[in-house]
Amino acid sequence: MGMVTLSDDMFVADVIADPYPYYGRLREEDPVHWNELYELWVVTRHDDVVWMTRHHELFSNAVFRNDPRPAYPAIDESDLGLYEYVRNYQADQFIQHDRPEHLEMRKVVHSYFTPRAMEAWRPFVQKAVQELLDAAEHKGHMDVMKDVATPLPVLVIAQMMGVPAADRPHVRKLAEKLLNIGRGEHDRMKPLTEGMQGMIDYVSPLVDERLTNPGDDFISVLAAGERNGVFTRHQVLVNTSLLLLAGHETTINLLCNGTLAFIRHPEQWALLKGDPEGWAQRATEECLRYDAPVKSLQRLATQDVDMRGKVLRKDDRVRWFISSANRDPEAFAQPDRFDITRDPNPHVAFGSGVHHCLGATLARVEGQEVFKALAERFPSLHLEPEVLEYQPSITFRSLKSLPVAWS
Amino acid sequence: MARPLRVWVDHRRCVGNSMCEALAPAVFRLNASRQSEAINPAGDTEEKVLEAAENCPVSAIFVEDAQTGVRLFP
Repeated sequence: MGMVTLSDDMFVADVIADPYPYYGRLREEDPVHWNELYELWVVTRHDDVVWMTRHHELFSNAVFRNDPRPAYPAIDESDLGLYEYVRNYQADQFIQHDRPEHLEMRKVVHSYFTPRAMEAWRPFVQKAVQELLDAAEHKGHMDVMKDVATPLPVLVIAQMMGVPAADRPHVRKLAEKLLNIGRGEHDRMKPLTEGMQGMIDYVSPLVDERLTNPGDDFISVLAAGERNGVFTRHQVLVNTSLLLLAGHETTINLLCNGTLAFIRHPEQWALLKGDPEGWAQRATEECLRYDAPVKSLQRLATQDVDMRGKVLRKDDRVRWFISSANRDPEAFAQPDRFDITRDPNPHVAFGSGVHHCLGATLARVEGQEVFKALAERFPSLHLEPEVLEYQPSITFRSLKSLPVAWS
Repeated sequence: MARPLRVWVDHRRCVGNSMCEALAPAVFRLNASRQSEAINPAGDTEEKVLEAAENCPVSAIFVEDAQTGVRLFP
């Protein structure tokens, strides 16, 4: 019997539901694969992903500015104007730049996110988690996504921005519109652009205020970048939104996918429950590896690059698959096993190299505190009902909801 | 006279973010696999070395007083 050719459609239902067998076949059969359908290179091995992330000069991150090809999955024809707005917005994010500009921009925000600085946020995160779980406890059931994973990162980010308490519901509404960045619906551009413009309208007066009266919040940090000539005003506004665009969906996915992994692996859940404080750190790393929040990221080749006998041409689209690299048997023993004792755990959930996730430590703190609190407070956690659906995205590994109950 | 430092980078942690090289280029340099090496601990002031260590996003940089062995970072 001949081998069944692998389809290039990554949005078919079974690949969205469980992409790991699909990635596994690509990794085995064609680790640097030209996907005809989306006109892009698909890179699936751990060593290749690490090599590419560390060679930023070969793979440009200025994708929104320089990739002329259309959005995928497709959007409504009538929304192409809105997509132009999204492209111009995204193109001003500091992460959508290459060196030397990227380094100057990252330097402005980098020291705000040091491991020590983010560790100082742990008590705030702990308190927020306890309050969210308090609100759910008496019901005996909750949607982990709606009740914990979605509000938690917004509470933290709003505090980082120095948003007054009265404005938090407004910021939360905008944050929920911004989540459309990771969705696949053909009509997603309208709510997304409303969220983007809403953030600009809301943050603009705050920037003016922080320019004259700086504090220790993140908007003041960006405003200082404007004063020093590193950022334009539009870049300050867009990079404030970036906190929510990059830090919201990703954290939701870490918390939901990790909780689901524990529910599906009772022996690992038992291990965590035995010593939540002791296991929280390694457990979070394993959640990041096993069912990573971001499945893949895109770059553009800056020159012809030889990889495993293939030639990636200048300007070709390239996507590396974090979720595949994290299951590569060359890098991990029994890669399909969820094992919180795994150490070392060189997963690439946060990427690597100069674009390594700025919010990595914060995400880790949030993951550790949520998994610890769930193990302590809801030891009998189980799924209810058992039907789960994922967003049709090539970038994010996002559940649509995660209903759970406890006795 | 500045005290001599012992500086090293844990390569199990280093992700090649290269902020250390950007902050203290005479002290840190990325090697062929794009991980940081402390090539010259005396290449810059103690303050700069500690700033680079503090800004490592994965806490891979370690700094000691070379004579007393006292840990200066983390």
